[in-house]
Amino acid sequence: MWLVCIGFAFPSGFSVAVDAQQSKPSEYQVKAAYLYNFSRFIEWPARPAAETGEPFAICVLGKDPFGPILDATVSGQGAGAQGLVARRLTKPEDALACQILFVGDSEEGHLKEILTALGKVSILTVSDIPRFSERGGMIEFVLKGDRVRFEVNLSNAVNAGLAVSSDLLKVALTVRKNPQSGA
Amino acid sequence: MATGRKGSIAKRLTRMNMLVSATVLLLACTGFVAYDLATFQATLVRNLSIQAQVAGSNSVSALTFDDPSAAERTLSAFHLAPNIVSACIYGPDGKAFATYRRDSSARIPSNPQIVAGEEENHWREHDDLMLVHEIVFQGQRAGFVFIQSDEQNLIERMKHYFTIALAVLVLSLIVALLLSHFARRSIAEPVAQLARVARTVSQEKNYAIRAVREKAEGELAELVETFNEMLEQIEERDHSLRTAHNELERRVEQRTGELAAANKELESFSYSVSHDLRSPLRSIDGFSQALLDDYGDTLDTVSHEHLKRIRAATQKMGLLIDDLLNLSKVTRSPMQREAVDLSSMAQSVAAELAKQDGQRQIEWVIESNVQAHGDSRLLQIVLDNLFGNAWKYTSKHQSARIEFGLKRQNGSSAYFVKDDGAGFDPEYSARLFGAFQRLHGAAEFPGTGIGLATVQRIVLRHGGRVWAEGAVEQGATFYFTL
Repeated sequence: MWLVCIGFAFPSGFSVAVDAQQSKPSEYQVKAAYLYNFSRFIEWPARPAAETGEPFAICVLGKDPFGPILDATVSGQGAGAQGLVARRLTKPEDALACQILFVGDSEEGHLKEILTALGKVSILTVSDIPRFSERGGMIEFVLKGDRVRFEVNLSNAVNAGLAVSSDLLKVALTVRKNPQSGA
Repeated sequence: MATGRKGSIAKRLTRMNMLVSATVLLLACTGFVAYDLATFQATLVRNLSIQAQVAGSNSVSALTFDDPSAAERTLSAFHLAPNIVSACIYGPDGKAFATYRRDSSARIPSNPQIVAGEEENHWREHDDLMLVHEIVFQGQRAGFVFIQSDEQNLIERMKHYFTIALAVLVLSLIVALLLSHFARRSIAEPVAQLARVARTVSQEKNYAIRAVREKAEGELAELVETFNEMLEQIEERDHSLRTAHNELERRVEQRTGELAAANKELESFSYSVSHDLRSPLRSIDGFSQALLDDYGDTLDTVSHEHLKRIRAATQKMGLLIDDLLNLSKVTRSPMQREAVDLSSMAQSVAAELAKQDGQRQIEWVIESNVQAHGDSRLLQIVLDNLFGNAWKYTSKHQSARIEFGLKRQNGSSAYFVKDDGAGFDPEYSARLFGAFQRLHGAAEFPGTGIGLATVQRIVLRHGGRVWAEGAVEQGATFYFTL
C-alpha cells in the first residue's frame, strides 16, 4: 500500500518537475523526476513495523550526477519532507535502509559487490551504467536521441520482492527476464 | 357464396391478428426507440467519457515517462470504434502529446477546452460530440484526453433498430398468420358451418338437420348447442302443430259427415212422415164424407156437426202436411238460378189472391221492373207466402194497401212486401221465422206457422237475409235480400 500512501501524500503532482522550467529540462532533471516516478508504478512489500516511521528514501551511491536537482525534485513533491528524502551514500551497506538506489558511474567497477551486498532486500536499483540491467540491476537509463528511456530487468525486481506495474513495462524500452529465475 | 362468407370471417380474423400484432409491435418499437433516443445523448456522452477515461488511464505511464509513441499506440485502438473521428492526449501543461485521426481531415484543438478545476467538459460541433477529460493519476493531474465522436453511432443504431424491428415484424406476422390459422379452425370454421346449417334449414325448411359441435369451444359451442336446441323445439312444435291440425281435420270431417247424415235422415224422415200421413188422413176424410153421403139422413144434427168438424180438421191437417212437404222440398230440391222478373211475378200473385175474394178492397202498389237472380220456383213460393200473409192479416180491415218494391238504403238494396194490416209486437219479431211459431191465434187468422220458416229457408239458400218491421195494428213490412 505504499504506492497509494505516497500518491495521496503528495497531491500537487509530478508536473512540478517539468513545469518548473518552461525551457527544455536537462537530462538529469528528467532522470531525477523518473527516479521519483518509478515509485508510483512499483509496489514495495510492507515494511516491518519498526521501520514504518522511516521516510521513503531515494539514495545515490558513489559519484552524484544530480547535485541539488534531486533534492529540488524530492522537496518539490510538496509537503513530502517527512515522507520522502534524498540521501548520498558511500558504502553499499548503507543502502539497506533505502527504497530506491541510484548507482553512480563511479561504482561500475564493483557493481557485483554492491548488488551482492544488497542481496534480496527490496531495493529498486537504477543506474546509468551501460548493460546495468543485464548485470543484475533492475532499471537502466538509456538515451534515445534526446529522450531519456529505460530498460527494465523484471526478474531482478521480482526476485527482490518488488511488483512492477505493467504500465511501467509498457513504456520501457526493453523488458528483460533472466533465463532462470533466482540468479 | 358460402365459401365467400367463410373466407371473409377467416380472412377478417387473420387480418385482425396481423393488424393487432403489427400495431403492438410498431408501438413497442416506437416507444423503445423514443426512449432510447431520449437517453441516447446521455448514453453517448457517458460512453465517450468512459472511453476517454480508459484511454487516459492507459496513457498515464506514457505521460509520466514522456513516451508519446506509447500513448499513440493506446489511442490507435480507436480505429476499432468507427464513430471516433479524432482523439488526443494532452500533457498536464495542455500541450498535445499524442494524437489519433480517423482520416486526414480530422481536426484537433491545439489545447484541451476545459476550465481549470473541471474534470470533464463536452460540447457539440457540427453534430459531432466533443469531450475532454482530465487524466488524474494518484491524485495528481497527469494530463487531458480529448475525443471527438460523429453521428455514426446514431446512424448505426438506427440501422440496427430498423433491421431488428423489421425482422421482428416479419417474424411476428408469420407467427400471427400461424396463430390465425388455429383461430380459423376453432372460430371461423364452426361459425361458417353454423351459417351453412342455418341456411340449409331456412332454404329446405328441414328442421331435422343439426349443427355439428366438433371444433367449437366456449361460447361457440354454446351457440351451436343453443341453435340445435332451437331446431329441436321448432321441430317439436311443428310436429305437435301437424298432429293438432290433422286431429282437427279428422274431427271436422267426422262431424260434417255426422251432420250431413243426421240432416238427411231428418229430411227424409219429415218427408216420409208427411207423405205417409196423407193416406190415413185421406181415409178419414173420405170415410167421413162417405158416412155423410150414405147415412146423412139417419144421423142427427149433432153427429152431422161432429163429422163436419172431423172433415175440417183433416183438411187443415192436409194443408199442414202440404206446407211441411213444401218446406222439405225447399231444402231438398236443387237450385237453378236465373234472371227473374219479380214485378210480373208479384202481379200474378196479387191477381190470384184478388180472384179468391172479389169483395175486398185492396190497393195493390207494385213497383215495376224489379229484377232478381235466383230460382224462380222458390221465389214464387216466397212471394206467395209474403203476399198471402199480407192478404190474410189485412182481412179484418175495410180496405187495405199492399206494396211490393225494392228499397235502396246505405248502398245496399232489399225487396220488401208491405201491408197496413194487423202487424205484430216487435218484441216477438225474432220468433216470426221459426217453424210452427204463430203470433196470432188460429181462430183469429188461420195458418200453419210454416210459411215464414219456408221463406227464410229459401232466402238463406240464396245466400240472403230476411227480416221484418212492424207494430200491433200498424201493419208489417218484410224485407229480404238475395
